[in-house]
Amino acid sequence: MKLLRQIRPRGIAIAAILVVFSLPGYVLAQSAEDEDPAYSREGADSCFACHDDQLTLAVFRTKHAVPSDPNGPFGHGQLQCEACHGPSGDHAGRVRRGEERPPSINFGSDSGTPVVVQNEMCMNCHTGDEGLAWHAGGHDNDEVACADCHTSHAARDPVMATATQPDVCFDCHQYEKSQAMKPYSHPFRQGKMDCSGCHNTHGDDSGDLFARQTLNGTCYDCHAEKRGPYLWEHAPVAEDCSTCHDPHGSNNPGMITMRGPMMCQGCHSQAGHPSLASTADGLADGMPSQYLLGRNCMNCHTQVHGSNHPSGSKLMR
Amino acid sequence: MTEVKIKILTTAIALSFLSTAAWAQVDTSDWKCELCPFEQGYDAEYEAGALYVSDSAARFGNATGLDEEGGKLALDGEGRYASEGFQASWTVADLALDARELEVEAGRQGRYGLYLGYNELPYRQFDTTETIFTAQGNDFLRLPPGWVAAGSTAGFTELANSLYPLDIGSDRQNIMLGGHFLMSSGFKFFADFRQENRDGVQITSGSGFTQSSMLPRMIDYQTDTIDLGLRYASGPLSLSLAWYGSFFDNKAGSLTWENPFFDNPATPGFDPHRMALEPDNDFQQLTLTGSYRFQTWNSVLGFTAANGTGKQNEPLLPYTINPNLAAGALPVANLDGKVDTSNYSVTLTSRPIRKGRIILGYRFDERDNQTAQATWTRVIVDTFVSAEPETNTPYSFERTRMHVSGEYELFDQLRLSAGYERRELDRDFQEVAEQTEDNGWGRARWRPASWLDISIKGGSAKREIDRYDENVAASFGQNPLLRKYNLAYRYREYGELTVSTSPANLPVSATISAMFADDSYTQSQMGLNQAETSHISADVSWAVSENTTAYVLVGGETIDADQSGSESFGTPDWSAFHSDSFSHYGGGLEWRNIGENTDIVLDYTHTDGETGIRVYRTGVSPSDFPDIDSDFDSLRLKLRYQKSDRLDIDLNLRYESFETNDWALAGVAPDTIPTVLTMGADPYDYSVWVVGVGFRYLIGARDISFPE
Repeated sequence: MKLLRQIRPRGIAIAAILVVFSLPGYVLAQSAEDEDPAYSREGADSCFACHDDQLTLAVFRTKHAVPSDPNGPFGHGQLQCEACHGPSGDHAGRVRRGEERPPSINFGSDSGTPVVVQNEMCMNCHTGDEGLAWHAGGHDNDEVACADCHTSHAARDPVMATATQPDVCFDCHQYEKSQAMKPYSHPFRQGKMDCSGCHNTHGDDSGDLFARQTLNGTCYDCHAEKRGPYLWEHAPVAEDCSTCHDPHGSNNPGMITMRGPMMCQGCHSQAGHPSLASTADGLADGMPSQYLLGRNCMNCHTQVHGSNHPSGSKLMR
Repeated sequence: MTEVKIKILTTAIALSFLSTAAWAQVDTSDWKCELCPFEQGYDAEYEAGALYVSDSAARFGNATGLDEEGGKLALDGEGRYASEGFQASWTVADLALDARELEVEAGRQGRYGLYLGYNELPYRQFDTTETIFTAQGNDFLRLPPGWVAAGSTAGFTELANSLYPLDIGSDRQNIMLGGHFLMSSGFKFFADFRQENRDGVQITSGSGFTQSSMLPRMIDYQTDTIDLGLRYASGPLSLSLAWYGSFFDNKAGSLTWENPFFDNPATPGFDPHRMALEPDNDFQQLTLTGSYRFQTWNSVLGFTAANGTGKQNEPLLPYTINPNLAAGALPVANLDGKVDTSNYSVTLTSRPIRKGRIILGYRFDERDNQTAQATWTRVIVDTFVSAEPETNTPYSFERTRMHVSGEYELFDQLRLSAGYERRELDRDFQEVAEQTEDNGWGRARWRPASWLDISIKGGSAKREIDRYDENVAASFGQNPLLRKYNLAYRYREYGELTVSTSPANLPVSATISAMFADDSYTQSQMGLNQAETSHISADVSWAVSENTTAYVLVGGETIDADQSGSESFGTPDWSAFHSDSFSHYGGGLEWRNIGENTDIVLDYTHTDGETGIRVYRTGVSPSDFPDIDSDFDSLRLKLRYQKSDRLDIDLNLRYESFETNDWALAGVAPDTIPTVLTMGADPYDYSVWVVGVGFRYLIGARDISFPE
């Protein structure tokens, strides 16, 4: 009883709205003549009364504003601005003095609109493609809004261009940003490779947002010569390229995680030269060592990704 | 209106909007869109200019095409055309450089789209390399006339007379075609084709019995990739059925070279050696992906099922090219290699309560190498026949991953989440036949104010060996105390902290992030014993004015690792400590509409990498390697002056320098190592200025205006 008395009338109204419109499968019965009071009177023409800046109008240079697209926001009979920004009749209508103008749905993490609501607006149209596995990906788990990466009101969405996409991703992924600046990295800095070249940024079921089913499958897209299968395989290569490589960047040539021969000696301990300690005595100004200088172990074992030679079991042929 | 009330109201609005009946019944007959400035006609930007590169530097040309000193054209542009529902667009970048790009798209949105693309990617590695070999075709390397063989590089009397410069690098050219077609019933057909050609020179090594030579190997690859599929979306159901094909063709199946070291007096000429190059291969995969959205608890069930097959059946080379050796017959003429892959996953996300969500997932990946085993009696480096038959090992594995996580919004400002994941990995022919990893984590995201966002995450993961196959380890000749780091027991602790702030009353936003990961291999007496990674970075942006923004960034990272080994094939008698560090700082400024016609963009970045290695041996003083330092500086300045409504003038200035003192290269001339003929590459060291001027001509209006 005390609880009920503590609930204000406005709260009851809001809660009632939530209950009514949250019920699963609930259908509003409206006749064709009735106008939903939540929508504006004239659609986009209503919005332009206030929103006439270049940023707003830039949407008309994008795929969201193609009138011949029957499924697009500005297609025949569609909801124009309110297709994304939601019913904005109250927002566009008359506001009493002293009261704040009711908001429409805005986009971005700091927009005030819950991210789940924002993304649902996008998913209304983009479920089949980009939204297919969105729910399973880390971006959805971390409550990333579509608008955190995408700029819908721009003729050129930076995240859609190879040269500018990494900067968008690096806004959040600062560790990877640092990796990409390392001496040996994929050509992100030169604008010739983007994150979506390897990652399915809209989500997938692998957990790591790979463009293909696995990490190796993703690498083989550009490095198909490593796919094999080879007669003599190098086991870690077939299992996981990241056993030896850091694809975001490394201090070491070839983006390997550690210098040779020591990296190789993390797995190879056979009697003889594989287990010999390499010291600074083997540098060029000392007793130049074939195990240390040049290509170190690969001075002989050059076929490190596998060999298809009948005599190649030691990856030398 | 308070933030909470705004959220409640917009949520209520959105939920009402999400009722499909509401959408379908809105009367938009009066929504004429008379003021809508739809795109019509042709708009374009043509950019033409020239730039001058001050010095030649291979590494500066890596991916840029600016590796040579001198003047170059700068040609870029983009254009768009729209008329009566038909749209087309094109973009061109770096047209006059080896990094050129071209894209053309056309179609009727909502019905079909076509795409054509072409790009080149130059890879420039070294321009300080030399070689004595001359290529005949792309599969034979010949020694120079008059070459005198020797047992070590010190004995190469004709080396100085025979070396000639040869740059190392390659070029990729990609041609892309694609399209999609939307059918009225919710189906979308898509097709993408890409052909990549890669050619150039790459360093490989050709080994003899105790010597080897770095060889300039010609690359000539072609890879064709095809994606075809059908997507269906209707209401809560989305499906995608796709076929993927990758076809790799290596124009050179082998590489033969004349050995510059000892030659056999009994046979004329120099001893040829031969290696097999990457075999042609193909891979095809069929994938079904789908999701279904349930009303109950706002749930989404997603799944993926993919099956693929990879094949490789190149004719095998003989055991040796040496005709004087009595090598046996091959067990098979072709490998007939085949790998089947399977990937299955299912994920369920659900919101049983308004403030909470749970995620359940399961994934299975399999690599089933069906390649037949056979017994091979190899010839060791084309010199003598091995007395030990060997059997090839077709590595296979099965990997499963199960995860469950949940999150709860304790208050509007605080969200808690936690999760658990278990991975299991079963392998064939490897020491660790069965392995599991358990990972638990927790996270809190706190937004005490609208301008402050704090996220902290921590967890631990334990990877255990369920079954270690001693026989396999012994067959590899490994020290029984060694545990390979990718297979070994590992305990990992990790943490992450991110703080973002953008105070409402200040034109400043900042993000600070820090992370660490600590890996312990406590059950590895030999091999990698410990690894630690730590990283911190900060970015600050400042909106100085309406037209001016500035930013600074700084960060650092260290990766330390300890490993141990044994020269005596017993207990550890040496260890190595590795320390990799990397730091960066920089900043920039964007100043727009200066005098209403000028924009300036300035960016500076400095990075500093350092690798240190110290080796300890029993009874010997520690040995410190010289630090491998790399220093990089980049400065970019761009000024754009709007000369008229249609013409802009661009001035560009770019400076970049890179220097490293890599001891693996420094001072390593072709004859420095007695038993290895190298190519004498120098460590990277360049300092390059690029100055450019360009003109940008616009067709169409610069600004968007309402129709008259």
